[in-house]
Amino acid sequence: MAYLRMRGITKMYPENNVLANAEVDFEVRRNEIHALVGENGAGKSTLMKILYGLERPDRGGIELEGRPVHIGSPLEAGRLGIGMVHQHFRLIPDFTIAENVVLGVEPVRRGLFLDREKAQASVRAVIQEYGFSIDPSLRVRELTVGQMQVVEIIKILYRRAQLLILDEPTSVLTAQQIQKLFLTLRHLRDIGKTVIIITHKLGEVKEISERVTVMRAGRVVAVRDTAEVDERELSRLMVGKAASLQVRREPAARGRAVLELRQVCLLGRGQDHPLLDRVDLTVHAGELVGVAGVGGNGLAELEDVVSGLRRVSSGRILHDGQEITRLDARELRRRGLAYVPADRLHRGSSLTSSVMENMIIASHHRFLRGGVLRRRQAEGFASRLAERFSIEGDPRVPIGTLSGGNIQKVILARELASRTDFILFSEPTWGLDVASSEFIYERIMEIRGQGLAILLLSSNLDEILSLADTLVVMYRGRVVARLANSGAVSKELVGEYMLGLKEDRP
Amino acid sequence: MKPWEVVLSLVHNAVGIMTPFLLAATGGLYTELAGMLNIALEGLMLVGAFFAVVFAGLTGSLALGVALGIASSMLAALLFGLVTLKLKANVFIAGLATNLLASGLTVVLAFQLFKNKGVVRFELGSLPVLSVPALQGIPLLGGLLLGHNLLVYVSWAIVLASVVVIYRTPFGLRLRGTGLNAPTVASLGLRPQAYQLAGILISGFTCGLAGAWMTLNLAAFVPNITSGRGWIALVAIYLGNKTPVGIVVASFVFGLSEAFSNYAQGALKVPADFILAFPYFITVLAMILYSMWRHYRARVR
Repeated sequence: MAYLRMRGITKMYPENNVLANAEVDFEVRRNEIHALVGENGAGKSTLMKILYGLERPDRGGIELEGRPVHIGSPLEAGRLGIGMVHQHFRLIPDFTIAENVVLGVEPVRRGLFLDREKAQASVRAVIQEYGFSIDPSLRVRELTVGQMQVVEIIKILYRRAQLLILDEPTSVLTAQQIQKLFLTLRHLRDIGKTVIIITHKLGEVKEISERVTVMRAGRVVAVRDTAEVDERELSRLMVGKAASLQVRREPAARGRAVLELRQVCLLGRGQDHPLLDRVDLTVHAGELVGVAGVGGNGLAELEDVVSGLRRVSSGRILHDGQEITRLDARELRRRGLAYVPADRLHRGSSLTSSVMENMIIASHHRFLRGGVLRRRQAEGFASRLAERFSIEGDPRVPIGTLSGGNIQKVILARELASRTDFILFSEPTWGLDVASSEFIYERIMEIRGQGLAILLLSSNLDEILSLADTLVVMYRGRVVARLANSGAVSKELVGEYMLGLKEDRP
Repeated sequence: MKPWEVVLSLVHNAVGIMTPFLLAATGGLYTELAGMLNIALEGLMLVGAFFAVVFAGLTGSLALGVALGIASSMLAALLFGLVTLKLKANVFIAGLATNLLASGLTVVLAFQLFKNKGVVRFELGSLPVLSVPALQGIPLLGGLLLGHNLLVYVSWAIVLASVVVIYRTPFGLRLRGTGLNAPTVASLGLRPQAYQLAGILISGFTCGLAGAWMTLNLAAFVPNITSGRGWIALVAIYLGNKTPVGIVVASFVFGLSEAFSNYAQGALKVPADFILAFPYFITVLAMILYSMWRHYRARVR
């Protein structure tokens, strides 16, 4: 019998007229790990938000253990034993683990006062009961991403959840941390919990789940026993056609050194070790250098330094052999250095400006006459770019109304439209669906073939391994590995470098 | 007077004068920790100041005056809170509006009620003074900490209670959580806005008391009697590093500068305008020093 049954769930977002869920039926058996897969915008998150009481469905009902239930808020979901780990952690860095866990259901002394000792003790009891090892008196800001996720799980176990929903839990983890998470999930299933895991990654579906529900465009298109489907079929179900995640990487001729970092250091306030520690890096024309690393190990700082948004503390940066260390972002652009930032919503675009304005922001002087913008020309330029990059929608609407994939395409179009010999990509496909990711990959490979020097910073190992010619791994601000990306480089090996288990001193 | 007697009396006066800073800043700390910039402290204090002395004058009871002054200030705070939290007005604009409204409303009401646009005097007894003969003999302590009016001691009790409420109760934990990460608090099924509204109401309470201290001490209402003390209290919150103890220190510094300004008007041959500006000068100086200190600390780390 089904443990959870959602029936005929329909949800329309009136703001943008999107039918997020259309007559969705979704069933989970007691004691299973159930994968919910689909591209971005397929409706997975909406369905889970409805289950967790964050959204109300327009139609449809939910049954738990055969009884119809009403879930109007996360509080009611919690009372029914449903807990959720959000993709972006909901933790307060300045609080301790114990404080984060008990927030909202605090143990009380004499009817009024927060009982800190009891809070610590009962959180420690939960930690022991489920076989974690972490000190509840630590502050969350001191934890690794993997540990933060453990805290999120402890948080819902403390609330005695029976059904755990995890929204893309592996997106920020390393290979080893993912294995650890999967061990935890299997253990939780073995002791009687039920787990729903939302994911993009089909390999993980095969590895962890017993059953899988595939959603596409707001509908459930398939429910299968995981053992009976392979990744190709899942992929076909998700996108509607068999999509291969393989990127064709033709051997390219390596040209001159375009961008060089020499002994670059960056010191941070309140940090006991440098954010960037004597980083040496060279990117040649026609070469794609992929830098992998777990969050907090220097990738974000490298992005800031190379894009000219942050000054290095020492060391030099060269472009075509000329010193550019102290140039700012504007001067770097003028020299032909393009940049697709990780934060596409704030740094990469101006959300309330139109698609056209976002496209011409780097080259608007071309459309000026007497200091006044020639709209017709600018719009023509924008329409041509939109067509070439198959960006849907009117270039006059605010870019914020587009989907994540289309926003990224606009940014890509803008950066490639400027005459450039170097481009920096940071997390170019983070959070994008398969189709958009593939489009981005194709463009990247195309410009590499044209002889651009490309620096790709990414926490997505698959991406780095399939795109990069040269693979660089950063750990604690240092380059700990520099490998030619032959077929011999395995994910596990790179994962060990990323976690600091292994280190070459180049 | 000998120099040390001057210093002693300055410190004694400062301990009294710091009261409105201390009260307003302590209340403002709750809103600050809940993640809202409360620039309405000035206006809330002014509302409390006006209604406390008016009701005390009408009823002849100081206690009723204090209570109704607080009630009026909390009502104004509720209005400010609903406009920002329910109607989603910009907190800064709504706070400014509250201050301007308070300033105008009190003057208009004073004129309507008493046909007087200037200082309105009331026949009131003075606030009860705490004197403990047994302790009076103790040097320093007796001279500095005793002999203030009752509201001064109430303000100390409020600061002590705030330490407990902010750091030792579930309410305090949730309030601080709201300021640090409201979506997290909401994801746990709590209502961040409830804690923000609570913070605003608490600031209304303490500002009402702060206002009452000012007008009941004088037994008079002077237009815009708060003269920027709410703003200085806001500064005290930041100088005090957003902790109750830090606020006590910062408020004392401002109290001392005002006490000195009062003393210097009679004793020193310095232009009166400069002396009156002294507390504000100290405020600016304190902000600069604080900012330099923070930069220094960040660099040392």
